[in-house]
Amino acid sequence: MRAYRLACLATTLVVAVPTMALAEMRAEVLHWWTSGGESAAVGVFAKQFEQAGGTWVDSAIAGGQAARTAGINRIVGGNPPTAMQFNTGKQFDELVANGLLASLEEAATAQNWREVLPPALVTATTRDDKFYAVPVNIHGINWLWYNKKLFDEAGIQEPATWPEVVAAGQKLAEAGLVGLAQGGQPWQERTLFNAVLVGHGGTELFYRIYREGDQEAVESDGFRATADLFRELQRLTDEGSPGRNWNDATAMVLTGKAGMQVMGDWAKGEFAAAGQKPGEDFGCTIIGEGGYLMGGDMFVFPAAGQEEATPAQVALAEVMFAPETQVAFNQIKGSVPSRLDVDVSGMDACAQKGAAALKDPARQVPTTEMLISPDLSGALDDVITQFWNNPSMTTDEFVQRFVGAMQAAG
Amino acid sequence: MAVSTLATASQPARQHRRRRGLAATIALIPLAVVVVVVYLGCMLWTVRLSFSSSKLLPVLDWVGVQQYDRLFANERFTVSAINIGIFGVLFIGGCLVLGFLLAVFIDQRIRAEGVFRTLFLFPHAMSFVVTGLAWQWFLNPTLGLQKLVRDAGFPSFTFDWLVNQEMVIYTLVIAGVWQAAGLVMAILLAGLRGVDEDLWKAARIDGIPPWRVYLSIVLPLIGPMIVTATVLLAVQVVKLYDLVVAMTRGGPGIASEVPAKFVMDHFFERNNIGLATAAATMMLVTVVAALAPWIYARYIRAAGRQP
Amino acid sequence: MSSVEPSGRRPRRVGIARIGVYAFLLSAAAFFLLPLWIMVMTSLKPMEEVWQGNILAWPSSPTVQPWIQAWSAACTGLECGGISVGFWNSVRILVPSLVLSVLAGAVNGYALSFWKVKGANILFGILLAGAFIPYQVFLYPLVRMFSQAGIYNSLAGIVIVHVVFGMPIMTLLFRNYYASLPVELFNAARIDGGGFWTIFTHVLLPMSTPILIVATILQVTGIWNDFIFGLTFAGRENLPMTVQLNNIVNSTQGERAYNVDMAATILTALVPLAVYFLSGRWFVRGIAAGAVKG
Repeated sequence: MRAYRLACLATTLVVAVPTMALAEMRAEVLHWWTSGGESAAVGVFAKQFEQAGGTWVDSAIAGGQAARTAGINRIVGGNPPTAMQFNTGKQFDELVANGLLASLEEAATAQNWREVLPPALVTATTRDDKFYAVPVNIHGINWLWYNKKLFDEAGIQEPATWPEVVAAGQKLAEAGLVGLAQGGQPWQERTLFNAVLVGHGGTELFYRIYREGDQEAVESDGFRATADLFRELQRLTDEGSPGRNWNDATAMVLTGKAGMQVMGDWAKGEFAAAGQKPGEDFGCTIIGEGGYLMGGDMFVFPAAGQEEATPAQVALAEVMFAPETQVAFNQIKGSVPSRLDVDVSGMDACAQKGAAALKDPARQVPTTEMLISPDLSGALDDVITQFWNNPSMTTDEFVQRFVGAMQAAG
Repeated sequence: MAVSTLATASQPARQHRRRRGLAATIALIPLAVVVVVVYLGCMLWTVRLSFSSSKLLPVLDWVGVQQYDRLFANERFTVSAINIGIFGVLFIGGCLVLGFLLAVFIDQRIRAEGVFRTLFLFPHAMSFVVTGLAWQWFLNPTLGLQKLVRDAGFPSFTFDWLVNQEMVIYTLVIAGVWQAAGLVMAILLAGLRGVDEDLWKAARIDGIPPWRVYLSIVLPLIGPMIVTATVLLAVQVVKLYDLVVAMTRGGPGIASEVPAKFVMDHFFERNNIGLATAAATMMLVTVVAALAPWIYARYIRAAGRQP
Repeated sequence: MSSVEPSGRRPRRVGIARIGVYAFLLSAAAFFLLPLWIMVMTSLKPMEEVWQGNILAWPSSPTVQPWIQAWSAACTGLECGGISVGFWNSVRILVPSLVLSVLAGAVNGYALSFWKVKGANILFGILLAGAFIPYQVFLYPLVRMFSQAGIYNSLAGIVIVHVVFGMPIMTLLFRNYYASLPVELFNAARIDGGGFWTIFTHVLLPMSTPILIVATILQVTGIWNDFIFGLTFAGRENLPMTVQLNNIVNSTQGERAYNVDMAATILTALVPLAVYFLSGRWFVRGIAAGAVKG
């Protein structure tokens, strides 16, 4: 009888031990990748994590704002997810400062993150020289997409500078087409403006304004030239632009109603969904000096009462950063790997262009989200959208308001 | 006259003879708890945070009226305040008139009443995230009405309110009335159906034209229901957010921004809880200032007069 | 209750006035149906046709694929089960929240309009003012309160939230409806010796059908379509259907299938629509008169 009990106990232990280990490797991941293509991309993370012996619990909430709100509420309520998505940027500063995030030094040291990431991403994901987030991809946000057929018909070459974009747009307009397809929402207007600023005003001017907060730089000729060119681009858009979603603008390009659009590399997903191929049906290029505006996504790991990450968190971070995961994930997501040491030869033509651009440190330009506070970014959005939508606003007025927003939001 | 006696008889009794009762007090305890703990508590918390420097997370430091200074210097907030005024007047007016007409017409013993009622109500059931998109398409000059009429052979037809900074606020009114008029209809219909049947019999005997009965007798009778509808609409006006996000995102430029969107954007997107709560406090102060005389006259002073 | 048939002023003859009534109702119906038409047409088109963009046109090759996709196959993260996934969660949230919030509103409205309770009107005033604050502002303090009370991320938590935020409007609705009823009813019941609850259940509730319907319409819509409270308070196991709907229609960077978005929205709205349609037949006239005559 006693032996039987012991046997039972032993069995229970044998069964229980692996279950406990598995329970420790359970990771609930909160993210906002919900559309078909995005879900497939996130599936790569889940699959790799489960192969490493973990259990992936998926919490998807569409829309960065809704997802972040839910995540922060759960941190405040003491029931945080294991990992949570953020845009690579300054949005998580306060969580770190309040000790709400776990440090990922263990994974970072093991995988040598400091060496293989672009320096700007190291800066964006470390605080006090400790990693608090794992960057999983780099989205190029200043791509120019164009319809190859329309360009061939009108005899236009791929533009290399912003004035050439304007010229191309005017030529298309003469042919009765929409020169530039533009979605009319503040974030899209900001994207376009910063694309022009970094490509026409120059990378140095971009840094002076956004990294150093130099208000005199805003009053410079380079900035004024950027504003003037931005205004010319506005004249190339159609009257239906205000309020339009970005993907409707992309649809205008892929159906041949409009010639060009400036948008992040996620626009590839729309072309792909319509069965179009990069290099054949549509072209992609970075305009101007070549600064590649790097946005992207990262995951943070809320601290559950401890400073260092739990085993599950470390394992998940390592899986997300592993080279094979990075390639497979980014191939589907449309972005490029955040680490520069992986083989991208299997990726599409545009992604290869992007990865090539990133090899040059001078072209690795972080987006404004990594340089300025969300508060200032929003205040500048208000100014940029007013300038874009109000043709009677002069460049002087724009400069003055831009400086005003920098002072108010500091 | 029969009608006037009837009207007096069923006059909404403003001065009910109210009774004190222990059971009534007990029944109101949940209300008291909710009001004190949730509403009063959260309102005070909001006001307190508006004097702090809170960014992403609430902190209870003290920066004086700094957030208010920034708020009043903010052009977007000014534009929002003006917009909500225009929208509020037109939206409430439009919904009440259309809703009352629909209720009256539906009340004429028509065929397929249920179908019509559901038709007028259905917009209320749908998420604005997508119905807003349908409106956006219809009002967009390159996709919707303007294009369709031009394609039909009227090339000079212009309807560009959605993309016109001066006119965009009126497109929000159109979509807003579309969504809420059915609900006003339902509330007023409930009121109409609470009206004594005998009143109509008496009016018919006296040969009074129906429109006069509606205007001079029925309208005052259902007064409390009109108040209900108005308050309900006013709440929607102040909280107006989803519609704007779905249709215009506050644009073109900042032409259709509204206060609730200002609060939301700063609370969650721009990590500036201090400024967001300052804006929310201003909304609260405005609402209290507008409501106070009414609440006082109607509920507090009236109660005080009881014997 | 006496007359159950719906009745307005009884028309004598079919005349110009009658035609006018229908003309008005039909043109109003056209206005109300316009966006729905756009949505239904879009939901029946393949995406290629949506891009071509005559938004009012009948689909040249109608397809129900988007509807099937929306209901049972669209991905919302790793789960590709469409919006059907959260349907029962929504029902589980809706039923108790609806019953409790309407009941609370009815009792509050009744107590406020017929009884004298010290300070009650001041409480009501605060409640009414609170209804005007965007409720997202309440999220952080409520999350803290709820997590201290141990009901954060639970069905009970989300039901309480709906009752709390439904309270101002529900109370107002019943308070004003009871204010428009003849006071003699109440006085007669008092003289007969009825107590607080007896009068409520035997005299007032039976007369409240139209306003109960309005309250139900409001709450069904509000609770069913709620997204932010469900997301914040219900917990992962109880997420309502709107979270899936949002996941389908609101993706920022992913490609968007408008036909599926439209179908998903219409499908999500079916429950409130059914409630509107079915509850409508209880809109009856002559209740007050019937009750007076007893």
